[in-house]
Amino acid sequence: MSAGQLRLCHRDDIPEGAARGFLPLPDAPRNVIVVNRGGQLHAYMDSCPHYRGGTPMAWRKDAYLDAEGAHIACHAHGALFDIETGACVSGPCLGRKLTRVPLSEAPDGSISVPAQVAGRAARES
Amino acid sequence: MRIIGPDYLVFGVDDLEGSKTYLEDFGLKPVQLDDTGWLYEALDGTGVIIRPKSDPSLPAPLETKNMLRQQVYGVEDASVLDEIEAEMSKDRRVTRLSDGSLEFKDDLGFELRFQVTIRRELSMPAEKINAPGAPAQRAPNELGVTDDMAALPRSLSHVVLFVPDMEKVVSFFCDRLGFVVTDVLTGAGPFLRPQANDDHHTHFFIRTPAYMQGCEHLAFHMGGPTELMVAGDRFVRKGYQSFWGPGRHKFGSNWFWYFNSPLGVHFEYDADMDKHDDTWVAREAPNGPEASQIFLLQWREKWAPSGGPEGGSGA
Ligand code: FES
Ligand SMILES: [Fe+2]
Repeated sequence: MSAGQLRLCHRDDIPEGAARGFLPLPDAPRNVIVVNRGGQLHAYMDSCPHYRGGTPMAWRKDAYLDAEGAHIACHAHGALFDIETGACVSGPCLGRKLTRVPLSEAPDGSISVPAQVAGRAARES
Repeated sequence: MRIIGPDYLVFGVDDLEGSKTYLEDFGLKPVQLDDTGWLYEALDGTGVIIRPKSDPSLPAPLETKNMLRQQVYGVEDASVLDEIEAEMSKDRRVTRLSDGSLEFKDDLGFELRFQVTIRRELSMPAEKINAPGAPAQRAPNELGVTDDMAALPRSLSHVVLFVPDMEKVVSFFCDRLGFVVTDVLTGAGPFLRPQANDDHHTHFFIRTPAYMQGCEHLAFHMGGPTELMVAGDRFVRKGYQSFWGPGRHKFGSNWFWYFNSPLGVHFEYDADMDKHDDTWVAREAPNGPEASQIFLLQWREKWAPSGGPEGGSGA
């Protein structure tokens, strides 16, 4: 793993169609959500843009998707987000987006994120 | 009108199995109503009813994605239902069901039902505390906490609704159903209580665009702040997501702890809410972090000072 990167998981830890949340460091304020969609991994901060500062979205550990598994869902008030783009497609934060997190994959399949992600409580901007 | 407060809130859910597990882990007792419906009840029999969202026995959904399908209110006796029927029949269709209860829509399209309350009278002590200068509340050798102490929701306390038209909803509840405003968070909305309930609020309304109309949260009364913290701590340890709290609100003075849920609303544990009578004069404060709470805390893993180089107090 290169300097300034934090390892989250192995790519096989997230089965096709599933989502999981990982704390980049044990005392980081927010999870990073990783979703596997058709073998492609997408990652966002666990931080719904509805309320100022952003708030966590799952209703139980790793429960980030809606019942059909079609969207990332905020279980606070039901906002739905496009898995590929992070854009809110329904609910109170229409027109806003989840904060995307760039993922790096090592040859052994380790998935890591930039270290500054661990200090990021809220969505940017 | 002698309305007591919410007996049940009815939801049509996407994820039935997830909702069942959630409600039971929250501390509510499952009662199967029929093939497709479950009541999850607090100790006094009030609670949450869930059905799959496609269940034809549910009232029509809101136009939004919100899963709330009906609010069921308890009143003191059948004469109150007659009063409500007379008032509501002036300008809307009211359905009288075979059990005597009434169904109609409010002015914003929320489905309501009124019934003679199903609440069972509870007889159990509030949390007891000891403090210098006051008589001890716990007898000698009576312990304040134990690992296996009970911490179960006692009663459905209040419902909070996102409403697109505040004037309409407040005049409906106050002028037509006799609720009173106890306090107002300007920029958000008012707290209301009905005539037959002295709790600070059974309702709070939040002004919101029409596409958000629905339920924001519902809350259950706990036996005291310690029970609230114990229940919330156990819930976090089961993997559920805290949203806000624990803390203590200013308006209402109730302790709070909110959690996300698969029903798309927040579930709140609350405790030790203020009581009011008709001499109370509503306060007003601008909505925001300052007015919302006297303090706010956050859950963390258990920790104790031990094992440091100084020796500490570690075993
Ligand atoms: S906080 Fe996410 S939808 Fe409201
Ligand atoms: Fe509340």
